[in-house]
Order: sequence, then structure tokens, then C-alpha cells
Amino acid sequence: MPLGTLDRTPPPFFKQGPSALSKLILFSALAVFLMVADLRFSLVSPLRSLLATVLYPAQWLAMQPVRAWRGTGDYFQTLADAQASAADSHAQLATQAARAAQVEQLILENQRLRALLDLRSRLTTVSTAAQVLYDAADPYARKVIIDKGLAHGVAPGSPVLDESGVLGQVTRAHPLVSEVTLLTDRDQAIPVLNTRTGVRSVAYGQPGVNGTELELRFMAGNADVQEGDLLSTSGIDGIYPPGLPVAKVTHVERRAESAFARILCAPSAQISSASHVLVLSPAGSQLPPAPVAEPAQARARKPGPNTSARGQAPNPKE
Amino acid sequence: MIMRPGQPLLLPASPLFIWSSLVVALLLNMLLNMGWLGRASWAPDLLALTLVFWGVHQPQRVSVGAAFAFGLAMDVHHTTLLGLHALAYTVLGFLAALIHRRVLWFSVPVQALHVFPMFAVAQTLVVMARLLSGGTFAGWTVVLAPALTALLWPLASLILLAPQHRPHAPDDNRPL
Repeated sequence: MPLGTLDRTPPPFFKQGPSALSKLILFSALAVFLMVADLRFSLVSPLRSLLATVLYPAQWLAMQPVRAWRGTGDYFQTLADAQASAADSHAQLATQAARAAQVEQLILENQRLRALLDLRSRLTTVSTAAQVLYDAADPYARKVIIDKGLAHGVAPGSPVLDESGVLGQVTRAHPLVSEVTLLTDRDQAIPVLNTRTGVRSVAYGQPGVNGTELELRFMAGNADVQEGDLLSTSGIDGIYPPGLPVAKVTHVERRAESAFARILCAPSAQISSASHVLVLSPAGSQLPPAPVAEPAQARARKPGPNTSARGQAPNPKE
Repeated sequence: MIMRPGQPLLLPASPLFIWSSLVVALLLNMLLNMGWLGRASWAPDLLALTLVFWGVHQPQRVSVGAAFAFGLAMDVHHTTLLGLHALAYTVLGFLAALIHRRVLWFSVPVQALHVFPMFAVAQTLVVMARLLSGGTFAGWTVVLAPALTALLWPLASLILLAPQHRPHAPDDNRPL
């Protein structure tokens, strides 16, 4: 029965339902509970996955005009543009062909040398190609959504690359889509290695309104870092395979009043315009298991308090 | 109900149209985000506008509960803390229920002035919750979002009330 027209039935006892104020109190409390549960405990991730899966057809539908628009743009691209881009690709292929030919031989040589030196063999990672669906609309974070999820074997924590370097890390994997936190997000950090000096450090996402940079924090004021240094993944974190390009140092500022230098880097990956990405499986799943902790009796026999014994426990990641 | 002077008598709103307009607003929000504005902090929130519109015009149909559910959908799409937009939309739904008897007595531009503070309150809630949960401030362009949303109120009134306007059928024998 449409509301506001003639009444054809006797009015019910509780026509109004609960008052707006009581509904406000109930739903605000529920929202606050959900926020705290999301922030402090990972209770709500099944609910979020469920909602994301339900929402995916709607997102797919909303993407269609965007896809059509981009498709039209590609269609009307001039012949000259297409030829230029093809020529560029050929030139790039030629420069990479020489290196690619050497890789097989180098891998073999590396294997033999490592066997000679009795080192652990390098990790091989499984990769999945994915497409970036859209930038997450949250202006406070730097995240993108990709079209591969748990159903395609994407695990939370997986590194994500584009054609020129590390793009970020999968932070939430839903059944059909995944959220990738970009390196420039303020909560994101990545262990890096300076390829010129071999010094390890950690690059943090640069906080700020339109931060598109990374910052190397806690590097001593006299640390050997120069503008133009290339940073690659160090491979000791159990997540990123070693040797992937991460960033290039763009700005080094040494201040007398601070013990640390202020070092800014530009990410190698196309952070703001990546469209096709590669999701690697986390390297940690192939690492050997961590050594078993010492039994409590052995620890008790040691001199000194338990805390110091715990402090000497081997780090499972190294 | 007392007839408001100078305003046409409207046909009853179709529930199908109300709910499909809300879903279309959600899709438009997604489209704006995915195709055009990206993560711009000043983007108007069409879903909040539509929720407030129906909260004011049809308070018995669209109210706090619906606002909460659509807020959860926005949270998942935005990948924000689950409950952030749900809280903001819940408050919007309550404020719409609070002013629905009074605001329709004014002309449409003055109605827009009435709803602007509501969107500002909702935006403030979002910013406060972000800061409390350890986020950064997204810049001063966030103050543009509620203003742009309120500026779209006349357009929403035009589009969403269109199906309720009685088709013009002149009858010489009937004075009304």
C-alpha cells in the first residue's frame, strides 16, 4: 500500500516503529563497535569479504562506462601513435634481449657456484598477472584494487610489481578482488638495499597530502647515500624476493641539528598509473622453518633472567 | 497532512523507484571514483545526498537503517575502516528525520542551505574518526565536499521528484 494515501486498513498499534533517536543510538553503537573491531581485532574481515563479494557485480557494472570510454580512446588513437609505441617496444625488446639471453646461463652458473659454496638455493616465486580495477576512493590512503583474489590464489601479504618495479603489497584479499597498499601509503614500509653501497635500510611511505615519494628514515647524518642511488629489495624480510627495483634517491638533506639525514626517493614503479601488475607469492612461504625455541628447562639453567635469554633467541627471519 | 502553499500535490512515491534511485546513486559514486575523480577528497557524495533526500521526503520508507546499510557498502568500496561511512550516514539519516517536517516548507535553494550543515557534520565525523584511528588529515579540500553535495540538492529535487508529478491533463469541466 502506498504511504500517504487513503487508509484502507485499520491503523496498526506500532505504526511508527522505533523512534529515529533510538535507531540512531542503536546503529551508531553498531558502527562504532564495527570500527573498533576492525581496528583492534580482525573480527570483521569475513563480513568485509562477504560485502566485497556482494558489491563486486555492482562495481563491475559501474566500471563498464569507464571501460567503454577508455576503449573508445584507444580506438581513435592515431596510427602514428601506435607505430611510435610499437617502435619503442621493439627498441626496448632489443636492449633487453641481450640481457635475457644471458640470464639462463647466469642462473645455471649461479646454481653451480652456490652449490660449490654450499649456500641455500635462491627462491623461486610463483606469479599471477592481474589488472588494476580502480584507485580506492579513500583520500587518506594510497590503495588500489586488483581483479584477482583468494579464488585465484592471491594471499594477503603478497608483493605486487609492475613492469618497472615494486608497486606495493596485498593487504586484504577477498574472494574475487584484493586490496593492494601502494608503497607511498603512510603505513607501508619496505626493506631496501642500496645497490651502490650494499647498505640495508627501510623505506617508508611519505606522509603528506599528495605524497608520491618514499622516505628513508633513521639513516645517520653522515650515511653514504647520494642522489641517484638505486634501491632494491633486500630479500631478508621473508616477503619480497631480493633484487627487485624499488626506488631512486632524489633528495638528500643533511642537517646539523638532526642526527638523521632526510632522504627522499622516487618509486621506480608507476605508482599512480599502473594498470597491469604481477602478484608474487610471498617468499616467506618457501623459507625454512624457524629454529625451535629452547625448552624452558634449558633456559632456566642459564645465568641471568629469562628476558635476556629471550633477547638472544634467534630471529626467525634471518 | 497540511498542504504547503505554492507546492504541487504529488503522486505517492513508488518504493521501487526509491530503492533503485539509491542503488543508482551508489553506482554513480563508484563511477565517479573509478572513472573520473579517483581519490579526490572534494568529490561530492551522491549517495549521501539521495539518502538525505528520501529521508526528508519519505521518512517512513528510508531512514536510519537503510543509511547504515548503504554506509557499510561505501566502507567496503572505499576500503576504509568498516563502520566509518556507516556512522556518518546513520547520523545523516537521523538529522534528515529530525528536519523533515520543517524543511519542506521552504523553497528548494533554502532547503539546500538546510541540508548543507548536515553534510558538514557527517564529513566532520568522518575526518574525526580518521584522525582518532591514526590517520592523517587529507587537506583542506575536504571542506568542499559537503558544499558541493548541498549544491546538488536542487538537481536531486528535480530528478527524484519527477516521477511523482501528475501528468498534465487539462479538463474544461473541472476547475482544479
